[in-house]
Amino acid sequence: MTPSLYRQALAQTSGSPRLMTEREAALERFFTLGLPTTRDEDWKYTALDALERAEFHPPEYAAEEGVTESYPGAVLKFNNGRLTDPYSQTLHAHSLAARAETAVVVQHLGQFVSTLSGGTALAEINRALWLDGLLLHLPSGWKASSPLFVLHRASEADAMLHVRNLIVLEAGAEAVLVEHFRGAPDLTYWHNGVTEIVLGEGAQLTHLKLAEDSAAATHTGLTVVQQARDSRYLALSVNVGGRLTRHDTWVNLNQSGAECQLDGLFIADARRHIDQHLHVEHAAPHSTSRQTWRGIAAGRGRGIFDARVVVQPGAIKADALQSSRNLLLSPHAEIDVKPQLEIYADDVKCAHGATVGQLDVAQVFYLRSRGIAEDAARALLLRGFVGEALGLLANNELAGWLEPHLAAALPGASREPTT
Amino acid sequence: MLHIENLHVSIGGKPILAGINLDVKAGEVHAIMGPNGSGKSTLAQVMAGREGYTITAGSVRFLDQDLLALEPEQRARAGVFLAFQYPLEIPGVANVQLLRTALNSVRLQRGEHELDAMDFLDSVKDKLALLGMDESFLYRAVNEGFSGGEKKRNEILQMAVLEPRLAILDETDSGLDIDALKTVANGVNALKSPERAIILVTHYQRLLNYIVPDQVHVLAGGRIVRSGDASLALELEDRGYGWLIPEAQEETRP
Repeated sequence: MTPSLYRQALAQTSGSPRLMTEREAALERFFTLGLPTTRDEDWKYTALDALERAEFHPPEYAAEEGVTESYPGAVLKFNNGRLTDPYSQTLHAHSLAARAETAVVVQHLGQFVSTLSGGTALAEINRALWLDGLLLHLPSGWKASSPLFVLHRASEADAMLHVRNLIVLEAGAEAVLVEHFRGAPDLTYWHNGVTEIVLGEGAQLTHLKLAEDSAAATHTGLTVVQQARDSRYLALSVNVGGRLTRHDTWVNLNQSGAECQLDGLFIADARRHIDQHLHVEHAAPHSTSRQTWRGIAAGRGRGIFDARVVVQPGAIKADALQSSRNLLLSPHAEIDVKPQLEIYADDVKCAHGATVGQLDVAQVFYLRSRGIAEDAARALLLRGFVGEALGLLANNELAGWLEPHLAAALPGASREPTT
Repeated sequence: MLHIENLHVSIGGKPILAGINLDVKAGEVHAIMGPNGSGKSTLAQVMAGREGYTITAGSVRFLDQDLLALEPEQRARAGVFLAFQYPLEIPGVANVQLLRTALNSVRLQRGEHELDAMDFLDSVKDKLALLGMDESFLYRAVNEGFSGGEKKRNEILQMAVLEPRLAILDETDSGLDIDALKTVANGVNALKSPERAIILVTHYQRLLNYIVPDQVHVLAGGRIVRSGDASLALELEDRGYGWLIPEAQEETRP
């Protein structure tokens, strides 16, 4: 991607003079920073050379194609980065582009990404080139009664999709958001998303992400969460697609009682490369963070789990727990795990555990001794293993929706959903 | 039903079983007793098809099939069940999932239709009651966080669900308090039938107060050194194993 390609893309964006000025400034900042390289500690395992060499273009406008999947709730569909049907907007869920000049957007958009230290080059590209995305804004005390689904679908070859989302839950508001990323089979594209989430006092967001990008896709992304007093951010990230995935999640527990749960799983089979970075800042007393991740690498797949929890001075009674367990299913697969705790406060409760191992042959034998065929036994064990990361979905209707997607993604597992 | 002839087994070149001969008929209960290291558990594991054992000689016929030629899952489907001494914990897999998947594997082999979730629940309720387990056991991860007694009861629950022709209970009594032992024994007794044989592998006579065997065999030095009726177990309780072991050593001398 040469600077002129980015400049051409910028020329195709639109917006108010204020927004255009912001876009131009962001692109200049990106040119100064350049794409991260493996010389950066945070990018040690993930090279963006392919991105550097590629030639992506902004998507043409594309009408919705026959997407047959049904969702158990309201759904906003973005095809190639744009909302396909303006009538699918709901009372509180909108196209961000259509509302770019509203007070909530002007107040929040870009505010938090700019506070991050380093690693924001991709976010600057997004800020310069974003076309659309979700604006979810719930007023104080509003409790959404059913989940909101957002489908991000790619169907145009060599398109770059800079999707921008802003989610603002005012005090006491509650919502369940499901983001689903898909691409036409074997399509080459680049999805580069930025999601900013602002949770007011006592607000709660349950956030499920299912990434099933095409096997040739590059998916980069950044999620930044700002949490006020007693708010809860409950996230589950399921990564089973793409050729190269790199996602960074930053959570700032700014006020006392704020709590986040960042769970997830990845299945890196074939030649898939999935790099997940989590960063939690405990900036206030009595803040809680939980991370339960499970990873599987098969074939020549590569998985990276890098999670840093920082307990700032004064964040007494902070409570942080990290668990990362990983399975290698082939001698050519690789998983790198880097859990980090940085504690600058006294009187805190922090623990982490990380393992990389293989499927337990004794467990396989136990299941086989009950009449279960070896393949089925392994599939059952793998399903059980990833199931440990799905605690957020216990007693939740979303578990049933996710199940067939999971079943299809498990290595060696049946391609049919189990009943 | 089961015919073991001159079975020799070694692990990593080290002989463990040195010529086992055993006949078990349908409807019978056999107890295999012996000191630690005598090869009792090896015999149980070899019957179930665990890897890592080398059969150096001998044969095992089960219902007119060559048992040793079958994969572990084929043995289970043919009707062999091993209750593990140390049941495995399987986080993330619900008990009900294991039980139904296993039962349906076995049913398909028998030419029966698979049970759906509702039919399966109906069929398992009596079996839970038999072992004093409530329905919540079905939805817990397999053996995860189970007490020793719960794990052993769970093994017998699996046996009750799969309805094997031959059940081998490997040290099912170990680590049980007296109440748990009675519950487990009652469960096993309820599963006795003229079509089913049971082999109890145990170190102590205690279990045999509750499940009375037709025959008792003493394993020492990889061979059966003495066989008798239930009274042999009582004799062992009084005298220990020491008096039988020199006999075994003498017999193995060339």
